[in-house]
Amino acid sequence: MLALKERNNQAFGFLYDNYAGALYSIIKQIITDNNELAGDVLQEVFINIWRKIETYDQTKGRLFTWMLNIARNASIDMLRSKGYQNSQKNQELPDNVYKGGVSQTTQQNVDNIGLKKVLEKLKPEHRVLVELAYFKGFTHEEIADMMSIPLGTVKTRIRNALLQLREYLK
Amino acid sequence: MNLKDYIESGIIESYVMGLATESERAEFERLCAQYPELVAARRKFEESIEASAKEQALPTPPEVKVKIFEAIGKNAPSSLGSTSSNPPNIPSMQNSKNPVRGSGMLRFVAAAAIILLIGMVWLYFQAKQRNQDLVRENDGLKTQRDTAQNILNRIVQEQKQAIGDPNTTVVNMVGTKAAPRSSANVYWDSASSSVYLVVKNMPQLPNDQQYQLWALIDGKPNDLGVFDATNDKLILKMKDTKKAQAFAITIEKRGGSSSPTLEKMQSMGKATQTQ
Repeated sequence: MLALKERNNQAFGFLYDNYAGALYSIIKQIITDNNELAGDVLQEVFINIWRKIETYDQTKGRLFTWMLNIARNASIDMLRSKGYQNSQKNQELPDNVYKGGVSQTTQQNVDNIGLKKVLEKLKPEHRVLVELAYFKGFTHEEIADMMSIPLGTVKTRIRNALLQLREYLK
Repeated sequence: MNLKDYIESGIIESYVMGLATESERAEFERLCAQYPELVAARRKFEESIEASAKEQALPTPPEVKVKIFEAIGKNAPSSLGSTSSNPPNIPSMQNSKNPVRGSGMLRFVAAAAIILLIGMVWLYFQAKQRNQDLVRENDGLKTQRDTAQNILNRIVQEQKQAIGDPNTTVVNMVGTKAAPRSSANVYWDSASSSVYLVVKNMPQLPNDQQYQLWALIDGKPNDLGVFDATNDKLILKMKDTKKAQAFAITIEKRGGSSSPTLEKMQSMGKATQTQ
């Protein structure tokens, strides 16, 4: 940890080798359909980790938790950026053209990886809320609006879903 | 508050996964400083998330690592010491086609030339390697200098902010009987409620203990956070307080206590308005 804060090159390489795959997995669960942009986000995430390592506070959680939240936030920012929205429009055509072709084999089915796989075990009404909150980054208020359910209900359901998630992760 | 109910409320999971609101986060962090059981439960969930994420790791695009290390101004460490992967390209001599006739002298000259050539190639790569090492070393030093400069700037900035402000009250903390030589200054900005602490002379503590700063408000002590007496931080940002009649520093177990151990009081100072 000290080596990282001192910006040690080797330590940072080690950090990358150890955690990049796990973080890339979460990025791809958020940016599901564009490998190139997911790679860009991974790059941005590690550059941010490098720059902000001094602000990491051990008393507030584990290093991985800190990095995971950086990765999630960066992915959601990308999801909402203009560049991403545009790239979606541009991608639609080739995606349809080559459907069943080469692209299909290289693209993993992201619904079957990581937390999303665990989410499948939840009740649908719980699952959709966690999806919206965790993978799409909507606030509880936005979700309550979108689904016309009381804010309190959103909050309890998400909390309950997360508790179940914890059990599945054990 | 029932700690067990709180732990089972889903707050830990919301906090770790970044779904808690600002006020929930603040409350959670405050309680974590108070209850080690809460920290233990948080850690357990964090570990399970980490294990699950690592299990689900995906292969990353290989060019990303190179780009990252380019962006932060260094070579990827995997390329260190791997010069053997591009061995010197020495063209092979095609002597056999036209065997040199007769003269032993000519053969000697040819052999000498080849040896000389190999020697020069070797020297060239030697020099190149040395040069690369120096460039890398230089980059490393530059980054270290920049980082140190940044930290220094930040400290200067914080100090200017804390000390230069006319709303700031300077409280000179003097040692008590238990620790006559302990001294520190508290800079309390009553407008923004910010509290900064400048450690002047506080003895080093055993690893399981920390100093804790308290604000005395209407006779009651309020926790303003813990600190170590290390030299590497000149000025410490403590927890905010709107009110305070006096400040006190005690020695507590690492992580701090919920109420001060008064016999371990190290120093104290009254927050009288000096402006």
